[in-house]
Amino acid sequence: MVSPRANWKGFIKFGEVACPVALYTAASSSDRITFNTLNRTTGNRVQREFVDSESGRTVSREDQVKGYEIENGQYIILEPEEVAATVPSSDKTLSIEAFIPCSEVDDVYFDKPYYLAPDKMGADAYKLLRDGMKRAKVAAIAKTVLFRRLRTVLIRPHGKGLIATTLNFDYEVRSSAKAFDDIPDMKIEGEMLELAKHIINTKAGEFDTRAFDDRYEKAVAELVKAKLEGRTLPKRKAAPKPKTSDLLEVLRESAGVVAARPKPAPATRNRGAARGKTAAVAKGSKTTSAQQRRTG
Amino acid sequence: MALRPYWKGYLKLSLVTCPVQMTPATSESEKVRFHTLNRKAQHRVVSRYIDSVTGEEVDDGDEVKGYQRGENDYVLLEDEELENVALESTKTIDINVFTPRDRIEWIWLDTPYYLAPDDPVGEEAFSVIRDAMAAENMVGISRLVISRRERAIMLEPRDKGIVLWTLRYGDEVRDETVYFDSIDEAPAEAAMMPLIQQLIKKQTVHWSPKMVEDPIQEKLLELIELKKRAAKKAGKTNSKSKPDAAPGNVINIMDALRKSVEAETRTGKR
Repeated sequence: MVSPRANWKGFIKFGEVACPVALYTAASSSDRITFNTLNRTTGNRVQREFVDSESGRTVSREDQVKGYEIENGQYIILEPEEVAATVPSSDKTLSIEAFIPCSEVDDVYFDKPYYLAPDKMGADAYKLLRDGMKRAKVAAIAKTVLFRRLRTVLIRPHGKGLIATTLNFDYEVRSSAKAFDDIPDMKIEGEMLELAKHIINTKAGEFDTRAFDDRYEKAVAELVKAKLEGRTLPKRKAAPKPKTSDLLEVLRESAGVVAARPKPAPATRNRGAARGKTAAVAKGSKTTSAQQRRTG
Repeated sequence: MALRPYWKGYLKLSLVTCPVQMTPATSESEKVRFHTLNRKAQHRVVSRYIDSVTGEEVDDGDEVKGYQRGENDYVLLEDEELENVALESTKTIDINVFTPRDRIEWIWLDTPYYLAPDDPVGEEAFSVIRDAMAAENMVGISRLVISRRERAIMLEPRDKGIVLWTLRYGDEVRDETVYFDSIDEAPAEAAMMPLIQQLIKKQTVHWSPKMVEDPIQEKLLELIELKKRAAKKAGKTNSKSKPDAAPGNVINIMDALRKSVEAETRTGKR
């Protein structure tokens, strides 16, 4: 096996201890290009080109520069070296600022993971940090200049080694509290919760991330085949219409508490329920039958 | 909530189904945003598509997706046709497996989204699924088509909502053994463990979003302000960055650790 190239080399420092380490990309996103963009009239592939918005003439790479808009149509130009100068010079050191309990790590900030491996010289200190963190169940926070940007990195033990994950900045993560603000405070208890827990436990199992297959490409290939054979394209099955009976009934049925009735009659008697009406008005025809709410 | 949903569909557990909507958990909108300019004319630079053979500009309306059948042989597919891709996971998140949260290692997490009910009729069903997962300390595993790829996803309850994570594909996570192979199996020296434990304990704090503040963003804004005032006459700042001396490899870890713990003790508790 070809030995991998490090993306970054430097030191990790905790307290007064420092040891040489290197970072390696742990996950790459694979491009699965299923489609190319074509010109419908000629059938040829299209190419991207950068042009001046006023003159329409192509602009070469060297003439493309970053601009910050201060007013409509007025820009401050920032040269790459000026932007680079705002980043502190790199001391090539992942200096651990603090440890935080693993249970408090907010994973929504996670950006990209890197394997953090020791240089031959520093293995003792490295193992000490790894085992110390493992035992204390903590992760470490460090800041350093990575790839010309000042980044916060979360370091944690992983098997024999350590993983360093770059973290997104505070302003890059949307508040979950705001995103979930509109959801009513509904605490589910009693039989409903018990039934749902039961269903979850019947579906408890292992998930093998390595074995997952993307079926989309295959589905597109089938679509293409149908088109080439002149068959009418099969319409996608409409999303399953949510059951119109009340939620507790559906849960009981799902949990197998009551034998599934051969064909549950549509619960027409629920249709006049106030809740359902509001939803129908608010959302249009698609969800009118989506009465999930217990109306009784 | 002002943000437009990125996806709308259904969340399904066995026979329970509810309409849901999903928004990205990350956003670029608060970042200092730059536009690309033509240095000479100071006009904005825009991208456009040209025909790779004729070199002529292609109208937006004439752009169409092509599925490659062979060399220079494409089957044109319109968006409406693609709507018919017969995969349930384009519209429905059917949770088929539940697993304890710690079974999905952090390294598999790719992109986070927030999942919420999309209609009052589904709120109770949504809450049932969320609360049952929370009560059992489980996450849900399912599939979802996003940007014309079918992704494995993980659903994790969070407060009143659910965080939906896309998980990386198997071949996207590199095999760690290659990188950690040179580390020997022996654990760290037992004699040093009490000291490192002490150091960690002294430096352990609570998580805070303050840890992910970005001082550079402030600096950029200051720079822009300066240039704005200097009104076009800003000379080039000259700051060749010279790397500081790298810390030497500490030979005696034990000594260094002792010093660290002493230093921590002197500066007092955090």
